[in-house]
Amino acid sequence: MKYRVRHITHYRYEHKVISCHNRAHLLPRETSFQFAATPRVVIHPTPITGSRRIDYFGNRVYHFAIQEPHQSLSIQVTTDIHLKPQRMELSETLSYGNTCAQVKEKLNGCYGGNIDIETCSAREFLLDSPMIKLSDRLRQYGDVCFSPYKPFLTAVMEFTHKIFTEFDFDSGVTDVATPLEEVLKHKHGVCQDFAHLAIGCLRSMGYAARYISGYLETIPPLGQKKMMGSDASHAWFSVYSPGEGWFEFDPTNDTIPSHQHLVTAWGRDYSDVSPLRGVIIGGGASQKLTVSVDVQRIEEL
Amino acid sequence: MLPPKQSQSSSSVSSLELAEGYRAITGTYDEALGQTGQIKEHWAYLLNSLSSLGTENLTQRQVKTQRILRDDGATYKPYTDQERTWELDPVPLLLDSHTWQGIEAGLVQRTTLFDKLLKDIYGKQDLVLQGVIPPEAIFANPGFLRPCFGIEPPSEQALILHAVDMVRTPDNQVCIIGDRTQSPSGAGYALENRTVMTRVFPNLFRDSQVRRLAVFFQSLRYKLNSLATNGEPPNIVVLTPGSRSESYFEHAYLANYLGYSLVQGRDLVVRNGYVWTKSLNGLSRVDVILRRVDDYFCDPAELKSDSYLGVPGLLESVRAGKVVVTNPLGSGVLESPVFLKYLPAISQALTGEDLSLRSAKTYWAYDPLDCEYMLDNIGKLIIKPVFKKQHQNSVLGYECSEEQLNNLRHKIKQNPLKFVGQEYVRPSYAPSWKDKKFISRPTVLRSFVVAKEGAATEKISSQSQSAQYSVMPGGLTRMGRSPEDKIITNKLSALSKDTWILSPEPQRYASLWSHNTDHVSISSEEQNNLPSRVVENMFWFGRYAVRAEFALRLLRTVFVQLNNTQHLSKHSYRIILLAVTQVTETFPGFNAEGSVLFENPEAELISIIIDANRPGSIVSRLNVMLNCAEEVKVLLSADTQRVINDIRDNVGTLESVIRTDFVSAPEEALDPLVTSLLALSGLIHESMIRGYAWRFIEIGRHLERSFQSMSLIGALLSPVLSEYDEDSTLETVLLTMEALVTYRRRYRARTDVINGLELTLLDDTNPRSLNSLLHHLHDHVDALPGREQKSFLTQERRITLELLNHIQLAQPEHLCVYNKGDKVREGLAELMDSGKTKLNDLATVLSDVYFDHTEVYHQVSETSWEDEL
Repeated sequence: MKYRVRHITHYRYEHKVISCHNRAHLLPRETSFQFAATPRVVIHPTPITGSRRIDYFGNRVYHFAIQEPHQSLSIQVTTDIHLKPQRMELSETLSYGNTCAQVKEKLNGCYGGNIDIETCSAREFLLDSPMIKLSDRLRQYGDVCFSPYKPFLTAVMEFTHKIFTEFDFDSGVTDVATPLEEVLKHKHGVCQDFAHLAIGCLRSMGYAARYISGYLETIPPLGQKKMMGSDASHAWFSVYSPGEGWFEFDPTNDTIPSHQHLVTAWGRDYSDVSPLRGVIIGGGASQKLTVSVDVQRIEEL
Repeated sequence: MLPPKQSQSSSSVSSLELAEGYRAITGTYDEALGQTGQIKEHWAYLLNSLSSLGTENLTQRQVKTQRILRDDGATYKPYTDQERTWELDPVPLLLDSHTWQGIEAGLVQRTTLFDKLLKDIYGKQDLVLQGVIPPEAIFANPGFLRPCFGIEPPSEQALILHAVDMVRTPDNQVCIIGDRTQSPSGAGYALENRTVMTRVFPNLFRDSQVRRLAVFFQSLRYKLNSLATNGEPPNIVVLTPGSRSESYFEHAYLANYLGYSLVQGRDLVVRNGYVWTKSLNGLSRVDVILRRVDDYFCDPAELKSDSYLGVPGLLESVRAGKVVVTNPLGSGVLESPVFLKYLPAISQALTGEDLSLRSAKTYWAYDPLDCEYMLDNIGKLIIKPVFKKQHQNSVLGYECSEEQLNNLRHKIKQNPLKFVGQEYVRPSYAPSWKDKKFISRPTVLRSFVVAKEGAATEKISSQSQSAQYSVMPGGLTRMGRSPEDKIITNKLSALSKDTWILSPEPQRYASLWSHNTDHVSISSEEQNNLPSRVVENMFWFGRYAVRAEFALRLLRTVFVQLNNTQHLSKHSYRIILLAVTQVTETFPGFNAEGSVLFENPEAELISIIIDANRPGSIVSRLNVMLNCAEEVKVLLSADTQRVINDIRDNVGTLESVIRTDFVSAPEEALDPLVTSLLALSGLIHESMIRGYAWRFIEIGRHLERSFQSMSLIGALLSPVLSEYDEDSTLETVLLTMEALVTYRRRYRARTDVINGLELTLLDDTNPRSLNSLLHHLHDHVDALPGREQKSFLTQERRITLELLNHIQLAQPEHLCVYNKGDKVREGLAELMDSGKTKLNDLATVLSDVYFDHTEVYHQVSETSWEDEL
């Protein structure tokens, strides 16, 4: 499956911005299922410096600075993405593989004796992160879906379904700073909140989970049901099963991401991969942000 | 016949008793005493020499030591609101050369290992992948800054400076209890200690064959120079969080000693990918930043987003190799005590060596066995957070109540990742001078290790030829105040000691500047290349010094007038008190409608002097001046610093002096401050380099004096009064402006406002006349940069010229004209008011043109979770 993704971010400031320094996580990365050609980046006004690098998590980052005074900023990123077909076959293998108990055992035993490098690295995603703190309450919420001899991925799918059914999708009540405890209490939020919540529960139970930002193809082919989700961008999570790898789940749509989910970046939580962060000098107190995303299918190869 | 030797001995025997009276504390290892209590060989000379000075003399030297430290402005601020003068014990810690060689080799080995560890953490992470350390040792460490991952080290070594805290155990082993790798502090204090000791005990120091410290700072300079990739000579700056940071003294002291500029985050800017200092002459590029700001605070664009101590875009500039920051951003990760637990294994894995110096035994609650041990033995351990944050101190198990211990156990069980336990290592004790005798106190030594520049290796002795690091031959010894002190840190008010490494050979004088390839000449252009912030502080420093001085003089005069034998009429009495309110701008004061203050003005006058919270009061003016002085400390001479200290002391005692002295001649209490302020202006006039720093002080001073004089003249001489009353008001003006004596000599006893105005407004032989003041102001403004580019007059020059002309063209007779029935000399009032307005305009224009106006910066998106890190 081949897509062209065009993501336009536009800022309008109250006053003139004198200069800015930014770090953008807007360039889709490569994954084992996803080939992403080098993204084209167009920024207006033209940055004085701009550079690409691969960050700690393997994501593509674009750094840029603008020195000319400006009252609006636009960033347009266009990327051609090719999804490999293996990704679509995952949903059939859910009931095989590690049991929940095996996952924990292997995660805990990955060093000391024989070292499993991938599992060692995955342990980073067991810990507190800037926006996700482990807690008993989160553990209790997830616990019902997991039991030692259940296949781990089956349990995670059930857990994904639980969030999907018990939470209301409700944009406008939460923002990036809404604490997890509050999301859990009021049982509503947006895709970011659901991803964070799922990750928080999984980690509190002792499973490694990471946050994924990306896009969702929102105009479905004829005859398929319309997917919910933010028009601009999307977020979901993945879990790690030692020896088997990382598996993605989307609690907002109760699905296993396959041919309609395009990955931009992953990290411990939103703060590692926020689309744009940085500092503007000047600009006044308020800024208006508009984002538009086009996910367009291009002809099959 | 008695041999001559014995005749002297009565005094020397009694004074040697001081040394002989020194006793170790049972159960401790004493640095100076052997097992049988005899003074060790390498201590004998020092202790006997100090003893032979005698109690009085030694105590005097101790007092002198503290006085010099205070004069040098050597302070330490454990918390932002308090400041302590640095304290130095007159007895240094001695280490013989054999002991030192062992320590030195062990430290070089340790720093080499820490350097490799740092590179591994931010590079391949082999230690995790090979199972040498658990992944959480890095991943759960808040000091591990992921944005700093993968940055290439700027030289062979990534870690440039390393400080190591160590003690000697009761069984005579050196044991390391902590490492500083973020922005290690203390080297500057060690240098200051040494400087003071060599002044107070010159002979003793000379004869003791003490290794010199300068070589360490030389190495540091070479290394920093070599890190610069861009220009010749490299521009190196010291980045400080500012005058409120705990070791600000050291930042300023080191910057001065090394010849680097001291800058704050807002003095720097990233443009075109490079880092620049914002100075009066525009931007100048920075090659190397020696940082004293914690890494996490250094770049709001990528690290802590609400930090104002850093520079937006700094990290990306570092990544691109366009500036070098040292120690590298992210190096704070190494300070976690967790690594101590694994250090022997890390050493084997990274270097294949065993460490020659051991570290305190460390347990990490994350390891189940360690956790069990910690919970069982909590009363014997020091419990430390895995990563030190501000105001978070270690907890000593055996100082806790059972309840506190249970709390602590609970916390550890809740969050085992976040706690380590460390064995308490009893430090060795060493002699200290207190209460007229030598007493034994626990000591901790902080030593400093610096990366060597490649080329410098050739000169090093064969034994350590391959070493990449060299160790300061000395260090900063901290000493507990009581024999029981367990945790000895500056924060917890430890004293300090100089550390003398004794050498078998006499030491030659070494200077930082002796090396002939290290040619540093500061051109006049560089002199003027001051950060705009510094220039602005200079300006306000000058203004507030005059504001304080003028108010002091006025109040002094008013006290004299109020207690004058010639009784003031009710009218002039009111006018004079009103003028106090107007000139000091302490409204409403006497200006309030139907003010009752006139009946009993003392309370109000005292408040105008001492109320620190009242804007306009003398104390508040002095405090602002002192704060400005602190900001520009590096540019003030030692003498100036001394005067500033005097002023600070006077401010501290002013309230009690005023209150006790108020009944008789209250003006006397203000005299010392006036004298100090005059000394200050004398120093500025006599000894400051005529650069822009000086110009801005002078502009501030002249602008302010003109303004204050206009206020005073307007308030006192524009009202039309009876001849008798005008006598008093004119006298008040002349006394305050220091012109009464001249006036009397010139005009005899005749009091006349016209003559008064001639002297205070126009007379160009009177340095305090407005004509002279504005003349100087004009010349200083004219000499500011920016003139050469423009053929027309810049706004600031236009205003000063206008001011000067208006005064010069004024005619006292015309200014004094008033119609019968008028109560005011309109012309005079008008001239003074418009003058004040123009002076305010001038200040605004100067600020716009020359001072830095860093705009507030915002985050691109809302981020509020980071404080949780």
